[in-house]
Amino acid sequence: MRKQLPPEMLARDSRFVRTSIMDQVMDPRNAKMGERDLGSARLQPERPAAADRARNLMHGIFTGEIQALEGAGRTTFDFDDEQAPFALKLDMARQCWDESRHVEISVKLGDWMGTEIGEYSEATFLYEAACAPDPILRLCGVNRALEGLAIDVFNTMKEFGDLSGDPVLEFCEDWMLADEVTHVKMGSDWLRRLTADDPERRERALDFQRTVDKLFSLGGFRGESEDNPIQLARAFRSMAGFSTDEIDELAEIAAQAQLDAQAMVAGSS
Amino acid sequence: MSDPFKPRAAFAPWDRRELPGLFTVEESARRVGNYKWLEMRLFESLGGWVATVPELDVKLVLGRHCYHHAWHAELMDKRLPELREMNTDRLCEPANPEMAAFVEALREPEAPEHTIEKLVGIFRVLLPRKIAAYTYHMNATSRITDSPTQRSLGFMLQDEFEDWREGEMLLQSLIETPDDVERAARRQSELEQLILAAGGIAGPGTLGSETVTEGASV
Repeated sequence: MRKQLPPEMLARDSRFVRTSIMDQVMDPRNAKMGERDLGSARLQPERPAAADRARNLMHGIFTGEIQALEGAGRTTFDFDDEQAPFALKLDMARQCWDESRHVEISVKLGDWMGTEIGEYSEATFLYEAACAPDPILRLCGVNRALEGLAIDVFNTMKEFGDLSGDPVLEFCEDWMLADEVTHVKMGSDWLRRLTADDPERRERALDFQRTVDKLFSLGGFRGESEDNPIQLARAFRSMAGFSTDEIDELAEIAAQAQLDAQAMVAGSS
Repeated sequence: MSDPFKPRAAFAPWDRRELPGLFTVEESARRVGNYKWLEMRLFESLGGWVATVPELDVKLVLGRHCYHHAWHAELMDKRLPELREMNTDRLCEPANPEMAAFVEALREPEAPEHTIEKLVGIFRVLLPRKIAAYTYHMNATSRITDSPTQRSLGFMLQDEFEDWREGEMLLQSLIETPDDVERAARRQSELEQLILAAGGIAGPGTLGSETVTEGASV
């Protein structure tokens, strides 16, 4: 088995439909949808499309968890004992188990919400962040940026479960949220440990994290205003080891990404 | 009321543990080092394979088992300094070059069409060998002096048995045609030849010696 498995080689059964992030971003329907004034973008049960949006988001969580499982698994394999310390690999193996459970939870929740596997397409950008050649970049890109996003997503879904009177959804999201806080903390701890004597490497890793954070704030997907479907979960992020400055920086990245997206829509109409 | 000061034997009548064992401290440490090396290579392989198998149930099982073997490696890593091996990397090695070659062959399959080959290597060749070796170690070492190793091996064996059963069930559900049976048998045979050459996961004598040597045991 080779080291460094490219995203196009991720193995899936015949139900899955692969798409690229560029196809999703350049979808001409986005501009039309951006022109509509539908009020708050937050997930609210009383809105007619709430159920479909929640099912779509749950399917995205499902495919994201598969890729998180695959990324953590590859980090146990791709690096020798010099590149990745034994204890780091143990953490990644533990994450494999956690992500495997998250896939199981997502499949059951999707079923509960009336979604079939493959009903929505899958982009592989999460796994792509797990292909960095330096393990600490992977931990920053995946554990701190993407698992951080998962904290925001699960917290939003948990609130949606509460608001819509769905105790199963609320219960499961809360459990997954607990795991994600652990994973983010894992990333923060390893970043500090492995770059204690190497500030340049730390800066490279944090740059990579910013890039991933910006990518996943694309189009105002995540932020702190009513225009953002996914809300920044400050309290849980703080619990996971993010400083207030880091959370503020992320909020700025998200706000800038939203302005960029609005400019793009204005330019195309 | 019973008298709390009445002398009692240190060992209850039903506690039949004895002091003698077949392993010295050094021998137990050597084997524990071999186990740690193998558990590490195994959890890395399962982690690497997760992305290469298309079957969703297999993917999730490999993710779960990956952690089981990582935990086993951690248990063995913690035991080594207690066996006077302060540099835990020194003994973390394959029993011999043949064992390293076996593991290299085990982790070779990559293509998404080779799930049967991947699972046969783990569940029909390696796990039965591990179960045998760990059971031998538990039975052969002193149940009093080497009790911490025994306890860890007990936890590990519990995982091995359950994982083996789950893996074997997956395999039986994947083997659907006479050709699949041939594939599985061929793969098993190839790998058995290699682990036979290694003498087992701890090298020759993994399961002791069948030959009776006078005065060999303590």
